[in-house]
Amino acid sequence: MTSSTTAGAPSGAPAASRSARIEAMAFVGFLVLLSIAVLIATTTIREPPGSTNTLGARVVPYAVGGLLLVSSLVVLVQQLRGRFGHAEAGEDVDLEHGTSWGVTGIVMLSFLSLMVTIPHLGWPLGVTVLFTGASLALGAKRWWAAALIGLTMGVVTQIVFGTLLGLSLPVTGTLTSWIGL
Amino acid sequence: MDTWNLLLEGFATALQPIYLLFALLGVLLGTAVGVLPGIGPAMTVALLLPITYALEPTAAFIVFAGIYYGGMYGGSTTSILLNTPGESASIVTALEGNKMARAGRGAAALATAAIGSFVAGTIATVLLTLLAPTVARFAVSLGPSDYFALMVIAFLTVGALLGDSAWRGMLSLSIGLLIGLIGVDTLTGQARFTLGIPQLGDGIDVVLVAVGLFALGEALYVGSRLRGGELPIIPITRGWRTWMRRSDWARSWKSWLRGAGIGFPIGSIPAGGADVATFLSYATERSLAKPEYKAQFGKGAIEGVAGPESANNAAAAGVLVPLLTLGIPTTATAAIILSAFQTYGIQPGPRLFETQSTLVWALIASLFIGNTLLLVLNLPLVGMWVKLLQIPRPYLYAGILVFAGLGAYAANFTVFDIGVLLVLGVLGFFMRRLGFPIAPLVVGAILGPMAEEQLRKAMQIAQGDPAYLVHSPFSWFAYGAMALIIVLALWLKRRRARYEASLPAVDTTAISELDEQIELHEPHPEVDRGRLSTTALPKVRRSGPNHPEGPGVGGDG
Repeated sequence: MTSSTTAGAPSGAPAASRSARIEAMAFVGFLVLLSIAVLIATTTIREPPGSTNTLGARVVPYAVGGLLLVSSLVVLVQQLRGRFGHAEAGEDVDLEHGTSWGVTGIVMLSFLSLMVTIPHLGWPLGVTVLFTGASLALGAKRWWAAALIGLTMGVVTQIVFGTLLGLSLPVTGTLTSWIGL
Repeated sequence: MDTWNLLLEGFATALQPIYLLFALLGVLLGTAVGVLPGIGPAMTVALLLPITYALEPTAAFIVFAGIYYGGMYGGSTTSILLNTPGESASIVTALEGNKMARAGRGAAALATAAIGSFVAGTIATVLLTLLAPTVARFAVSLGPSDYFALMVIAFLTVGALLGDSAWRGMLSLSIGLLIGLIGVDTLTGQARFTLGIPQLGDGIDVVLVAVGLFALGEALYVGSRLRGGELPIIPITRGWRTWMRRSDWARSWKSWLRGAGIGFPIGSIPAGGADVATFLSYATERSLAKPEYKAQFGKGAIEGVAGPESANNAAAAGVLVPLLTLGIPTTATAAIILSAFQTYGIQPGPRLFETQSTLVWALIASLFIGNTLLLVLNLPLVGMWVKLLQIPRPYLYAGILVFAGLGAYAANFTVFDIGVLLVLGVLGFFMRRLGFPIAPLVVGAILGPMAEEQLRKAMQIAQGDPAYLVHSPFSWFAYGAMALIIVLALWLKRRRARYEASLPAVDTTAISELDEQIELHEPHPEVDRGRLSTTALPKVRRSGPNHPEGPGVGGDG
């Protein structure tokens, strides 16, 4: 917290469990595949003729793909030898209990709902849906309180960023245009 | 001197009432988010990037400067007063500060941290004022190959030094570089890695990268394993006059100055940011302490708070030297501030002091102003800041999601970006779970395209001869310094890890006993005049919890 660079600080996290090890291997394995895909995709980037003696559009992608491949392979080997990373610690993070995937899923869905709600319901109502869904998933007890705070936030951000600062946030959407604001 | 005239002009700009108001807003926001667990300065600046679409640049950067400094102050309050054993050992201030608070000396720890931050922040800003124009004048003569060298240094040091292991950092960095490559290549007009999606042709907006990884990723991660129950806050109930005993002042002032001296140079070179500076300062204080105080290290020595906290703030000012004069960010926050400059079409670098002289000097003047505001605001208001810790977590993190959505949507006003943000957020979520540092990714994504541009410029000048990259004495010096920095910093990190592992658990009575022993021969008043308290404030009970920022909505946290 004291600096912007506390990522991955060493912590007293317990040794990686079996499911955490599988997850770590899958993630790094995915990155290995990604780097191979990057290297293959680079060969299909078109190089305009006539730029032979300067760097074309492919050189840096090759270098980046190579770095990605080498570093993901090294981390893969490190993990095979049992050197796993430590989950990030934080004041609000409880490392001793398991992950609540249900909560994470609902929070993600609430966020994704903005893709539908902004064009169809407008910004203030979109925020209300997101805030209510996410805070209830995270453990807020009274749904009406969450909805009320969400609506307040939606209206306040609409006024501050839309009206005062001039960002073009839609007040209403295709389904709520009858409100006529 | 010319610099002083320019600085005075900067003050004339920054002291205008409207800009003072922006500075106040910045430091208040910065302190608030610094205090709030789970939100760091990087996330705050990322979440507030949308204001760059609406405000004029000077106002926006004054707000960012306030957030940047305020975040540092707020962070120390949390680590001193919050008793979260797992995390506290990772931040050096908490090492001693938390133990002081547990022994009833929290007020002294807070005071020495705040005053030290002010002293060191001011010294470092003076150094920044003196140094930056000189560096800028020198940097004008640097060619593309020299810039490429500097950027490679920034990449490798950030990648190798931030995080658990060097290779994990490099992996994070290369993902960032890959994200930076997405889009139509500016030189040849060829689409790269766009997967045929037209919206990706302009590349992924750096705002999305910053917000997705820092705000959404963090909110998802914390949400997945939210700690139940209330956080235990260590109460403080000591009088104003007894905040700092005479011996505390005597033990602190040298540490403040040493902290500033250590922090500023380390902040201004890419050496892994403030972490290295704070530990180096801590180690120095421990070895320089008088024998009778030495026993107190690890059990609440005030030098161990004063030094690292000053070093931390001085390093934050030091980071601005390469950012403003060379356009090179060395921490995640600096990278996000750089992207804010780019939103305005302003390129930080040697020309910045000529082309945007009013903006730069107003920014530097506002650093002085912000620092002073923070000292005035923070000590009396500590009780209010601590109230912030009681915001119910579901509302706090849901609110972060709202601002993340705002940042993503306001970037281009398309809902496509909401989807991109979610993908990046999920990436950040898994990287946090599996122990990959986030900062190298953000630095890679923001600095990568700039590095490629410099590299290709250099290659055009050299007509394709790679030896050109190391032709100048400056690039030799730069690569040599990089090797040295990495070796030294890795060695320091190992020492720090070993030191932290060797710390035994100490119980509170032992800490106070030692403190009393040392203070036995130091007469000091014990009168309780005025109160600095985190508990004595009256509890505000609201009838309905319809204030998202309201502190009194406790109960379902």
